[in-house]
This record gives sequence, C-alpha cells and structure tokens, in this order.
Amino acid sequence: MEITANKQGDITILTVNGKMDASNATEFEAKVKEEMAAGANRFVVDLSQLAYISSAGLRSMLFLAKSVKTSSGAAVLCGLNGVVQEVFKISGFSALFTVCDDRQQAIQSC
Amino acid sequence: MIKNLGLAGKLILFILTSTTLVFAAAFGYNHLVARRIVLKGVRETTMNLTRATAYRIESVLRSVEQMPRNLAATLEEHPYTRADILRDVKDVAKNNPNIFGSAIAFEPYAFEPQQRYFAPYAYQKGNDIALAYLNVEPYHYFYMDWYQVPRELGHAVWSEPYYDEGGGDIMMATFSVPFYRNQNGKRTLTGIVTADVALNWLQEIIAATKVYTSGYAFLISANGVIITHPYQKFVMRESIFSIAEARGDKNLREIGRRMIYGDEDFVPITDFVSGEKAWLSYAPLATSGWSLAVVVPEKELFADVNTLSVKVVLIGAIGFLGLFIIIAFISRRITKPIASLAATTTEIARGNLDVELPRVTDNDEVGRLTRSFANMRTALKEYIADLAATTAAKERIESELKIARSIQLNFLPKQFPPFPDKTSFEIFATLESAKEVGGDLYDFFLLDDAHLLFTVGDVSGKGVPAALFMAVTKTLMKGMAEPGMPPSRLLELVNQELARDNDAMMFVTLFCGILDLRTGVLAYANAGHNPPVIIRRQQPPQWLEMKPGFVLGGMEDTEYETASLTLLPGDAMLVYTDGVTEAKDMADELYSDDRLLATARDFATLGCEAQVQKVLASVKAFAGEAPQADDITILSLHYLGGE
Repeated sequence: MEITANKQGDITILTVNGKMDASNATEFEAKVKEEMAAGANRFVVDLSQLAYISSAGLRSMLFLAKSVKTSSGAAVLCGLNGVVQEVFKISGFSALFTVCDDRQQAIQSC
Repeated sequence: MIKNLGLAGKLILFILTSTTLVFAAAFGYNHLVARRIVLKGVRETTMNLTRATAYRIESVLRSVEQMPRNLAATLEEHPYTRADILRDVKDVAKNNPNIFGSAIAFEPYAFEPQQRYFAPYAYQKGNDIALAYLNVEPYHYFYMDWYQVPRELGHAVWSEPYYDEGGGDIMMATFSVPFYRNQNGKRTLTGIVTADVALNWLQEIIAATKVYTSGYAFLISANGVIITHPYQKFVMRESIFSIAEARGDKNLREIGRRMIYGDEDFVPITDFVSGEKAWLSYAPLATSGWSLAVVVPEKELFADVNTLSVKVVLIGAIGFLGLFIIIAFISRRITKPIASLAATTTEIARGNLDVELPRVTDNDEVGRLTRSFANMRTALKEYIADLAATTAAKERIESELKIARSIQLNFLPKQFPPFPDKTSFEIFATLESAKEVGGDLYDFFLLDDAHLLFTVGDVSGKGVPAALFMAVTKTLMKGMAEPGMPPSRLLELVNQELARDNDAMMFVTLFCGILDLRTGVLAYANAGHNPPVIIRRQQPPQWLEMKPGFVLGGMEDTEYETASLTLLPGDAMLVYTDGVTEAKDMADELYSDDRLLATARDFATLGCEAQVQKVLASVKAFAGEAPQADDITILSLHYLGGE
C-alpha cells in the first residue's frame, strides 16, 4: 500500500494505492493524524487505485470519519470501484461519508 | 591433527618447523660450499702430485733413452767395426743400472754383405755383462715389434710393457731407436738400437705415491693396459677399457680414452676396485705415451667436512632442544590465560553463567577479552532473565488465549438439533477457527414459543480484542432481545452499547433475523454484513435483498431498518461470514460470491447439516494448502412450516 498526500487549497487529498489490510491500515491512520496535527480537517480520499480493503482498513476509515466529525471538518471519498465499492456498500461505510464518482466532484463537495 | 592442537602446540609446531627449515637451508648451503672449497684444494694438490710423479718417471725414462739415442747418432756419423759394435752395445748395458740389456740389430745384409742377420745383444748376468746374438733360430728379430714398429714409423718408440721370460719374470719395456746411413747419396735405414728397461723401479715409485689414507696411483700404457696397480691381478692382464666394459662404466671408458690421448684432468669416478665414489686425477707421460692416474676416495676427501657437518648438526639439535624449551615456556605463558578463559567460556556455553572468570591484571588482548566476556556474561544473564520472564508471560497469555478461545467457542450453541421438539424448522451452524483467535460469532435462540432469533457476525480485526468484542456483542444481543422487538431495534440498542466509549474503534458486522415459526415471516436487519443466500424451493439460490446498514459499534445513534419476507415450507437460508467468500487459494484468488452461489445451487436440496458441511468442504478444497486467514462461519436454516 502507498499513500500520497496533496494539497489543493485547504483540502488535503489522500491517494491510496494497492491493498489496505491489517498489516498496513495503521499507516493510513498515522497519515491522517499527521495531517490533522498540521491543521488539516478537510479531506478528499481518492480510492480509485485501491484494490482491496479489509475490516482493519475500514477501521482506519472509521477513524478518519470520527476525527473529522470531532474537528467539524469533512471527509469525501471518490473513485470507489470493484470489491472496495462492494465492501463500502455492504458494511454501510458508504453512508458514513460523502461519496463522489471522481476527484473533481469530491473537491467541490468537500 | 593440527586443528586439534592447542595454541601453544601450534606456536611450537610452526616456530620449530620454520626454524628447522632455515637451519637446514643454512646447513645445506654451508656443507655444499665447504665441499666445493675442499674439492678445489684437493684438485690442486692431487693434480700437482700426479704431475710431479709423472715427471719423476719421465726423468728416469729420459735418462734411459739417452744411451741408445747417443749410440744411434754415433752409428750414423762414424764408421764402425765388429769390435766397435760389440764394445758399444756392452757399454749401454753396463753404464746405466736401469738398463737390463741392449741390442744393435741390423737390417738384412746391412752390416756385412755376406751376412744376412746381425744383432748382438749385451745384458746383465749376475755382476757381469753377457753377450748373445739374436739372429739365432727360432728367434727371428726381424719380425719382432721392437724392430718392426720403429722401422715402419721412422722414429724412436717405447714398446708396450711385457714380461721377459728369460730375464727372471720381471716387467720390462723396450726403447727402440732407428739409425740411418748414407748409401749412394740416399739416407737409408741401417738398423735399430734398443734398450730393455726393467720396470720394478716404476712400481716402487708409484707404490710410494700415497694420498690420504687409502688413495693410490696407477699407470696405464699407450694402449690403456694397466702397467702398475696396487691390485696386482689387473697388472698386464686388464686394460682400463676392459674394466670399463666389464663394469658397464661409460664414464670410465671416456676417461681412459682421454688418458691415452694425453689429456690431464681431475674428475669424479666410481672406484673400480672398491666400487665407492672417488676422484681421479691423471696426467700424461709424454715420452712413452703412458698416463698416470691418482685415485682419492671421496669419503676420505670429505672426511673433515663430514666431521664438521656432524658437529654442526649436533649443535643444531641442541639448539633446537633449547629453542623448544624456551618456546614451550613462552607459549604456555601466553596461552595459559587463553586456555583457562576457553575452559571457562565452554562452561558458560554449557549454560553455567555463574562460573568464575579467570582473574586478569594485564591490559593486553587476553585481559580485554576476559573483561569483554565478563560484560557479555552479565548482559547474557540479564537477557536470559528477561527472556525467561517474557516467555513465561507469553506462555501464560497464550494459554489464557487458548482458554479464552475455548470459552468463546463454548459460548456458541453446539447442540444439534437444538430444539428437538420443534418440527417447523431445522438449523445447523459451524465455526471453523483460523489459527489466530478471530472474531466470528453465530447464535440462535427462541424469543418465545413461536419466534426464532438467529444471527451471524464478524468482528473487525483479530486476537484477544476481537474475541472480547465478540463475546460482548453476543451477550448484548442475547441480553437485549425481547419478544416482539423488531431486529432493527435490537441492533440499534446493541450498537448504542458497543459504540459508547469505543476508543479502539472496533466494530462488528452482523446479520440478525427473527423468524415467525407459524407464518414463515422473516424479519431481518443488517449491520454491514455480507448478504445471506436465500434458497427458495424449486428456484435458483439468490442474494437476499437488503438495505445497507452501518456496522455495529462504529457510530452512536446509527439507525437500522427492518425488512421482511415470507418463507414457504422447504425454503432455506444460508448465512455466512467473509471467511467463506474471501478464502484464498495458493494463487491468492478469492473464493468469491459467485462461487458461493454456485455451491449453494449444487447443494440446494440437502438437509441443513449436510449443506453446511458441503459448503465448508468446497471452501477448504478451494483453499488447498493455503493457510486459513480468517474464521469461517456458515449457518443454514430450513423452514419446514406446519406449526
């Protein structure tokens, strides 16, 4: 898994590649903590390159959702597809976030 | 073998070996050079001795030659009578003690026209000189070598030595000089003057030639015949060539060839009497064409050098012994602390960490090593103590985990059929644990006579936290369920409990259904769980239609919806966790929803337990050797109706 962070205005765009499972989900959590410590509280998470997400991965997404809720920020997901989209749908995590099709829309809705 | 030697042994071995090599090289060089120097000196003295002896013999031979030469010259220049001839020949025999006899032999008719042969011969007989004539039959001097050889060669020659049978069996040689006179203005051979020489004096001179203890000299003739030799059997019977031939000694033959050629040299040979190594010097006797040889046995030649070498070796051996003692002492001294340290560390390696390390006061390498070992031992002790404590703790936790796991599994209903008096439904469930403690759960119980609650869930993550969370979830479900309560309400209540103060942010996906056993109406709610498979009688299996609901424990105040459908007798339902659909094979491929649906179709008509076992077997067959990563839970419910 690989996480890259970009800034567009005060929006932090996190792009996640590969597979997010128990072995690396805490990296995402750490990244979110790091960005929030630097003052960010509005996130767009681009998951178009994410191939798989386990329950541990969902937990780190829950962390993101709770964190932005506490700091009155926002988190918008985009680019969900395939298995990942299915997991988000079944687990109800789709309802936890604003979900957009592409990054442009996500930035606008954030 | 060297590998097993101690340090001291290796030191001694290597130092002494190299010392011995150096000594051997120096000794070898010294010995060789000493031999060469000795040989050079011996060459000089032996050659000089040989030349001097040859010269002494030469001078005797020359004095012998003088008389017949003078006589021949006189006969050439002056007229002579028979009386002159007789007087002259007697004089030659008389005036030189070395001359045994002398003859003047004329060519046929050269002395007197009417006398064919004339050869008077004077010789020593007792103290007097006797006179004889050689032209007496059958002695035909004209064909004798002493006459023919100088006659043909035209100059004076020495004959090969011979034994004179008439003259008392002494060795003799004859010197013959031809003389010429003018006849009709032409220089014509007239006769031969001879002198017979006894060679006993020669033997005396040569026998007196002593070199070292057993060195000796011998003389060979112009043909290589041995004239004198300490070994009498050779004399006049063998030549240097016949000996070389008999012994197969090519070297000797070559030396013989060079000797009669008139060379002189100093060469190594194998002594043909003793068979030992020797050195031979030779020099020619120019007048007679003979050659004198002096033989020196090598062992005598090098006796001094060898004595010296033996002494040097002895001194070396004593030095070697001394060196051995010194090195042994030093290396023992150096390696003793290492040896005792090695013994101690062996003890430590065996596990005895309390053994006393050798006391060191020096600050050399051994001292530092010992101190390092002391530190290492202390660190090792601490480490082992830590490790023991950690291991004990880990073992305790592991055994507690096992107990927790077994308690957790015992939590789940395992009696089948669970309600033997109920005929309206069948239910069967199994939970196949992964190696790690997982968080799957299933449960079912009767809310009242007519309502069956069943649930399947999966806690996020693994290990003790998941197991605890699972236990809490199951307990809450059972504790909060009440007859008449819709499943969505139950999930909301349980979620509220789980989500409160959930700092670890754990959650559980869970499907909950409540079946009215009288009507077949199934009310159900879903908290983020995989959709169950519904298998209606005579129809292909399909996914249960569900509204998405958020996982339990994720967020407080989450709301759930209850959906419902009516089961007809013979309809069935398969509820499972993602341990089924996300089971992986060796190629990392997922079992997948599609495969599950296909499997459900294959076993649609089987009873509850058989259906569950078949699906489980299908999943296991798919995974093959791949390790099971997650718990696998399968629950099958068949509605039979008729309550």
